[in-house]
Amino acid sequence: MASHGVPRQRSVEERSQEARQQEIRKIEKYQELDRSVHDKIDQHQYTPETLQNISELLSSNPEYYSVWNYRRQVLRHEFSQAASSDPEDAGIGRIVDLIKSDLLFLIPLLRSFPKCYWIWNYRLWLLEEAKHLLPLPLARRLWQEELALVGKMLSLDSRNFHGWGYRRFVVETLETLPSEGTTRKTMAPEEFEYAKKMIGTNLSNFSAWHYRTKLIQRLLDENSANDQERKKMLNDELDLIHRALCDPYDQSLWFYHQNIMCTFDPSLAGSTMAPNLSTSERLEYVQREIDEIQELSDGAEDCKYIYQGLIDCTLLMCKIQGTMPSGEQKKNILSWLSELKRLDPLRQGRWLDFERSLEKTSKDT
Amino acid sequence: MLYTVSAVQVLVMLDAVDELDKRGLGGKQKVASFIAGLQDKKTGCFAGDEWGELDTRFLYGAFNALSLLGLLHMVDVPKAVAYIHGCQNLDGAYGIRPGAESHAGQVFTCVGALAIAGELGAIDKDRLAGWLSERQLENGGLNGRPEKLEDSCYSWWVMSSLAMIGRLHWVDGKKLAAFILRCQDPEAGGFADRPGDMVDVFHTCFGVAGLSLLKFEGTKEVDPVYCMPKAVTSKCLAK
Repeated sequence: MASHGVPRQRSVEERSQEARQQEIRKIEKYQELDRSVHDKIDQHQYTPETLQNISELLSSNPEYYSVWNYRRQVLRHEFSQAASSDPEDAGIGRIVDLIKSDLLFLIPLLRSFPKCYWIWNYRLWLLEEAKHLLPLPLARRLWQEELALVGKMLSLDSRNFHGWGYRRFVVETLETLPSEGTTRKTMAPEEFEYAKKMIGTNLSNFSAWHYRTKLIQRLLDENSANDQERKKMLNDELDLIHRALCDPYDQSLWFYHQNIMCTFDPSLAGSTMAPNLSTSERLEYVQREIDEIQELSDGAEDCKYIYQGLIDCTLLMCKIQGTMPSGEQKKNILSWLSELKRLDPLRQGRWLDFERSLEKTSKDT
Repeated sequence: MLYTVSAVQVLVMLDAVDELDKRGLGGKQKVASFIAGLQDKKTGCFAGDEWGELDTRFLYGAFNALSLLGLLHMVDVPKAVAYIHGCQNLDGAYGIRPGAESHAGQVFTCVGALAIAGELGAIDKDRLAGWLSERQLENGGLNGRPEKLEDSCYSWWVMSSLAMIGRLHWVDGKKLAAFILRCQDPEAGGFADRPGDMVDVFHTCFGVAGLSLLKFEGTKEVDPVYCMPKAVTSKCLAK
């Protein structure tokens, strides 16, 4: 199993005799538990006792993915027994109890091992079972509670990509599980607010910026936004990122900026928030960006992202016009490139490749 | 699926794939049909087991093992390739599913699968390599996403991806090698995620494999697509 961020302990020789004995006992206990679980599953003993053993085994090793599947087998068995019980209501009550107590079992594991794929996957499976086995209002309530849980998990680690992925699943599912008397309802507006809140808490949170790009697309599409409304959204996003870039050293912000710039790239515009801008509009926007970034450089002459941004925007101008860099543009690019080579020695190979490609294109023309 | 892929890789390393057919249990054809059965008809992606969670790690694992067995044609390759393209973001990198944030680990699985399918030509290499090279931090180590901490296992996920698209030199190899070496426990020998942390097999494998990509003295050449010795994969794939 991979360990992350666990400080190294003293070497084996230095540890006390007692500590080593303790470790050996722990290993023996684990192996015994492992054997017992395997034996019980082989004999199809899908009992509460087996479930208890499985819980203990997974608590000490949640990466043991076969054991998560054994757990599913035991639960499936218990669900089918409950479903055939009489009266029907009692069966449903029993299934709710089983699912709730299993969801509860997972909470401390998620908190201790937030990066373990199998725990998140198992939890989703459990909730999918709820969707199939329970009346809609009951299933919906369980899924609704997940939104609070994942909110809590993301407040503990706002970059956990399992958490963000899980949130998307929960939202997608809730959108297909209407509450009584309503039809399918989009959650894009409230999720947009959530992403906004997360960005507000920490501007460096690229996960939240990424979510924002996806939600903007959804909001515009779901409202059948016209080109004018799309342009308004684009202008708002540009204003926002310009304000955020008062700290130009934050990489997350520049990736969001790069993302918005795709709107002006003729080969990528189709999958962006404003796909139908005219060529002259695109040129105007990019020129404005070049001016904005140049203003940023005042007092941040040592910030490499600025020079990178200027080069990217200038190349984008050429791409929109379908031309090679002009004499003036080329002179600018070379001067920004020399700053990059000075400020960014780690990526020297990249900048030298770029320099060579510039020389090559000018020779060709 | 994961145990099956590991088993195939170990058999290939031991040059013992033929043993499968000698045992009369359906041989490699049967192993391959188990893996092929995990392809999702609707999306082209693969599940890890009968319980059905789909993600690009399983897609890569399936392509890895099937190609080593010489039986990649048993699955719908174009559909899987289309799924991978759907996982790409505008930054040029890939997420675990369509719509998910770019992540260096998933870049490896997607680029690796494209390499096996012979579809690397579809990648905007400069854009992807730009994103990957930005993973290197001042201390020489690599992170997996913007504004995250370095971790020695990204020496593999990032560097193998750069190797597959011919841009290994876009990061500072010397500084990275020095970082990886600082992650080693001088007494126990293994490698940790970061200097001073607990070592494990996972980080030891990817730390050493990263050193091999950097042509570190004394390491054998590793195949960036398979994370196995190049001599082994060349021999196997030439069959």
